[in-house]
Amino acid sequence: MDPFFYLVIVAGAIAGASCGLLGVYLVALRLAFIGIFISHTAMAGSVYAHLVGLDPTVGPVVVSSLASMCLAGIRPGRSRLDPNVALAILFSLMLGLTFLGIGLVQGSRSEILGLLWGSILFVRAGSVVVIAVAAVVFAVFALVFNKELKVLLFSRTIASATGVHETFVYALFLGLAGIVLAVNLPLVGGLMIFSLITNPAAAAYQICRGHRAVVVASTLFGVLSAVGGFIASYYLNLPTGACIVLTSTLLFALAALSRTLARRVD
Amino acid sequence: MTAGSVGLSGIDVRRAGRTILQIDGLTIPAGSFVGILGTNGAGKTTLLKICAGLIGPTRGQVRIDDVDLVRLSSWRKCGLRQRIGYIPQSTEYNAELPFTLREIIAMGRTSVRSLLSRLSRQDYAIVDEWIDRLGLSDRRNQTFRSLSGGQQQKALIARAMTQDPELLMLDEPCANLDFYWKQQISGMIEQLYRETHVTVLMVSHETSVLPPACERIVLMADGRIVADGGADEVLSPQVLRKAYPGDFQTVLIGGRRYTVGGV
Repeated sequence: MDPFFYLVIVAGAIAGASCGLLGVYLVALRLAFIGIFISHTAMAGSVYAHLVGLDPTVGPVVVSSLASMCLAGIRPGRSRLDPNVALAILFSLMLGLTFLGIGLVQGSRSEILGLLWGSILFVRAGSVVVIAVAAVVFAVFALVFNKELKVLLFSRTIASATGVHETFVYALFLGLAGIVLAVNLPLVGGLMIFSLITNPAAAAYQICRGHRAVVVASTLFGVLSAVGGFIASYYLNLPTGACIVLTSTLLFALAALSRTLARRVD
Repeated sequence: MTAGSVGLSGIDVRRAGRTILQIDGLTIPAGSFVGILGTNGAGKTTLLKICAGLIGPTRGQVRIDDVDLVRLSSWRKCGLRQRIGYIPQSTEYNAELPFTLREIIAMGRTSVRSLLSRLSRQDYAIVDEWIDRLGLSDRRNQTFRSLSGGQQQKALIARAMTQDPELLMLDEPCANLDFYWKQQISGMIEQLYRETHVTVLMVSHETSVLPPACERIVLMADGRIVADGGADEVLSPQVLRKAYPGDFQTVLIGGRRYTVGGV
């Protein structure tokens, strides 16, 4: 294997790990759709940053973290709006803004459009450092607020009624989720991020007992999906993105099968 | 225990241009056990959520130990709510996640510990004490989702008790349980009340699950309190008619009150 691909594998492992970890919370909060939403929000941020002459990496991070924090305002039981419906509405708003912005861009649009699909094979060392820092920051957050996050995942009503600082922790979580997704977007692409968030976490929830086991398994499954998918695509000469998505789906299928078999044995 | 009183005055909750709850005044002294009874959609859960500050009233005051919950900042509200043990209906928690029983019960200690701090060995000792006390020792490391409905309810009550609450709010704790578990959970609530004298607010649509210790009942219909008084008085056919159409009588069997219709 060409040494250039080692960087791709490292980038894939970090992206897989951070998406796998993030997925533990997004899946339990039933916000897996946030991946698609954030990708379009980040894209809108990038388009408008490009239009006003700013660094196109700053726009997505700021816009997507702010947009995802808006979701913190939607509270179960208080709002008539389901968070997923709110996501769908915000998603269509971002989609409209993105295409409006693209319409206003002068010259080549290929760089902007590339954000949706990602380009892990063209990764640069600088980008790997950025996603690694975002992954570490999110992991530290998950560790520091572990006890609050667990209550939040189990029940936002209980968290709120019993004095857990759930609004603060939830808003902080959504802001960081926005950042992690936005920095991974140019590498992984909006569509693949959705699979890397959902499948490893859903697989871990099938087979694990206890929150710590879920966190470890989902992170490992994320790494396995990204690295395994890349290696499979390299040796089988198949599209990388498709192999990563299919590997993560296969992991989920195996986990679901093992849970079904374990129940039958019981 | 002297803390844990609740006072509502001039409460009006409006949603979509419609009044869903209107309460002129309600005082619950510390250490009392109050049952909230009423028809489906009468506003029982809304009343409980108002008391816990989960729903903000359109106007009015919600006082816990003479502190107005409505006017507090969200940060200070958290401090006050640490004294509330809240057990919601099953639709309001995610029972499918693979949390272990011990993890669920330890969540009660999260309320009393500050942000950035971790649960200590002492916290887990309290958790384990409640697990043993409620007879769940052999289920300690099982997942919450693998427990029966009755065991899950026990775990949620244990979670609330590890907070060492001054106020215990229970929203239909015996709903969807078989008669054995209804009696078990109701008996457990009674025992906890007698041992700790925590203030208890218990929403139910069945009179038989309100334990004998529940000497006061608030009867609700159409978002209003239609009767408030001693259990025997409120459960009389004349008073029940204010909330339920038809004739109902309450019979006392083994200290529990069973309300039956068509007698």
